[in-house]
Amino acid sequence: MKCVILIVEDDPQIRRFLRATLAVEGYQFHEAFTAEEGIAQAEAWRPDLILLDLGLPDRDGLEVIARVRQSGQTPIVVLSARGQEKDKIAALDLGADDYVEKPFAVGELLARIRAALRRSAALSQNGAVFRFGQVEVDSDRRLVKVRGQEVHLTPHEYKLLQVLTRYPGKVLTQRQLLNEVWGPNHVEQAQYLRVYIAQLRRKLESDPARPKHLQTEPGVGYRLLID
Amino acid sequence: MSSPVETHARELEAGEHGSTAPGIERRSESRRHFALAVLIIAVCTLIALVLRPHVDATNLVMVYLCGVVITAMRCSRGISVLASFLSVAAFDFFCVPPYLTFRVHDYEYLITFAGMLMVALVISAQTGRIRMQAADAGWREARTETLYNLSRRLAGQTRVFEIARTAAEYVEEVFPARIGIFLPENGQITFQRRTCEHWPISRSEENAAQRAFDRGEKAGRGMEPAAGGASFYIPLRGAKDMVGVMGVIPKDGAALFSSSQLQLLEVLANQAALGIERAFSQHAAEAARVQMHTEEMRSSLLSAVSHDLRTPLSSITGAASTLRSQGDRLQPEVRQELLDSIAEEAERLGRLVSNLLDMTRLESGVELRRDLYPLEEIVGSALQRMERQLAKRQVTTDLPEDLPLVSIDDVLLGQLVVNLLENAIKYTPEGTPIELAAEAVEGSVILEVRDRGPGFAPGDERRIFEKFYRGKSEGVRGAGVGLAICLAIMQAHRGTIEAFNRPGGGAVFRIRLPLETLR
Repeated sequence: MKCVILIVEDDPQIRRFLRATLAVEGYQFHEAFTAEEGIAQAEAWRPDLILLDLGLPDRDGLEVIARVRQSGQTPIVVLSARGQEKDKIAALDLGADDYVEKPFAVGELLARIRAALRRSAALSQNGAVFRFGQVEVDSDRRLVKVRGQEVHLTPHEYKLLQVLTRYPGKVLTQRQLLNEVWGPNHVEQAQYLRVYIAQLRRKLESDPARPKHLQTEPGVGYRLLID
Repeated sequence: MSSPVETHARELEAGEHGSTAPGIERRSESRRHFALAVLIIAVCTLIALVLRPHVDATNLVMVYLCGVVITAMRCSRGISVLASFLSVAAFDFFCVPPYLTFRVHDYEYLITFAGMLMVALVISAQTGRIRMQAADAGWREARTETLYNLSRRLAGQTRVFEIARTAAEYVEEVFPARIGIFLPENGQITFQRRTCEHWPISRSEENAAQRAFDRGEKAGRGMEPAAGGASFYIPLRGAKDMVGVMGVIPKDGAALFSSSQLQLLEVLANQAALGIERAFSQHAAEAARVQMHTEEMRSSLLSAVSHDLRTPLSSITGAASTLRSQGDRLQPEVRQELLDSIAEEAERLGRLVSNLLDMTRLESGVELRRDLYPLEEIVGSALQRMERQLAKRQVTTDLPEDLPLVSIDDVLLGQLVVNLLENAIKYTPEGTPIELAAEAVEGSVILEVRDRGPGFAPGDERRIFEKFYRGKSEGVRGAGVGLAICLAIMQAHRGTIEAFNRPGGGAVFRIRLPLETLR
């Protein structure tokens, strides 16, 4: 299957190397230079994934995310500058799937693209037992096992883990997690979230200070890495 | 209770002719003095009546002259002149036959009367003058002392606002008034910057203060026709400019200040103004010094940065142009080497640029986005970011589970841990271990990054936190900004960072985050 990727990026040098890389990896691609064009092309081509630069000449890249999300769940990977946590959070809250900080290495970008495509393909076929590392989450029986041993999780810990396993590999902002686990009235109380993440790490990770799966995205949120 | 200045001022006032500010206080005082003069003459008359059968009438004049002297010593000149006439009349009435009438049988007594009056008047005038001179000297002394006390109190102060406050407090001590000093902001007197908490704040008060400041003349109640309100304002005039105004609310609602009190107030205001101006200019000098220092830093930054930016750029340009023009004639290994060099140098350039950006951001006073975090999370994500560079190291962490949450900016503190790890990787031999350990001590949380490298040369423990300082080590490349950023981050958090040699060899970096910053 040949995936179609839409590149929305105004810088010609970056487009040049993205073109080269994506072609070698066997992706088809279309290019847009402005937000306006990006929105139009996303509607015309129905790409499998959108690579979106946030700093576009005509309009804010965030608008592209909002428009694309109105019509579907096409995965969006944002290309952002370093240090602009606010933009990243806004993009993710609007429904972007992931971000890559400029300057980035090609390997990292391709990994993010693959993960996002995989997620969108797997979205419909969620099995009853979810595995990552040595952890098994059986959502039918509400059971969590680490190395085959059952681990007791509090209801909130379990709910948090459930949300994370629903979007493996995706960065979830603090706001998104708080909203899903504690409800919309608690989206400002990020320290709850941090304490529960710390507890989950102690129960699930072999070295909670160097987590392999429950990873922090500083200033943004958390991500469950499954491989 | 009256202070020494008040007493002296009042005495001097009593001796003054045509005083410009006839207050209620002064009027009641003249009445008291008049009564005193009458009393003294009455006592003299009693004594004269007792002596009259035994002494020649002309000698009784002496008794009255004594009375005039005493009166002149205690009372104002007008009163003692009055006492002179009164004593002549009493002498005539009681001591010159026929008694109890002003008529005189023996006309020689007219000479006695004239002589007596003249002597009494001269005595009044002379005694009055001496008394005034004494009062004046006392007043001067009190004024000098007051001024001296004020300047002594101001001497130790360096901050503008403290000086203003001290001056206001002092004037309040010596004057029966509430005093507030107001400082301008951009030429505008604002009641926001005042030394006293309670002050009648209204548009008209502010306008009066502004008028005093703009015109350099007293304004407000009693100082301008038709000005109401509770207070008046004295401009604070420094040697060059106006530096503020002093507001005065007389304590005893009705009483106004006498002209000499006002004069003293103005002298004190001048003194305060000079103090404030001195502090202002010291402040300006300090700012200029800092500015100069900043300029120096900037030029050293420029030279360091241009070198550090150019070196990787030249390798990238060189390698890339070699590949472009000779690529097909190069051995595959050589091509690979050049490609690796391009990628590595670009990465290095990227790190350098982001370090410099961080430094600039921190120096321009970045606003912390603080929240409560478990330290474990910060350390964890830093280790995750450094995973690749740490591949050849054994990293151990010792973070107690019961560490309190710390109030920090997670991105900045994460950057700090990353910088410390990068530093350890750079300056210690490959394969040596790195430890991260935290503990809660009284009032703060401590995090240490320890290595087993060569440690610090003597004196380097401090210098390493300076910008563009690089420890003496072979083959280490970098701009010497990483640890300066760490220091800036800790300063922004009001924490501390220190470095020292580790017992048994190696270096320890210790950061301390105060817990009182917890909300």
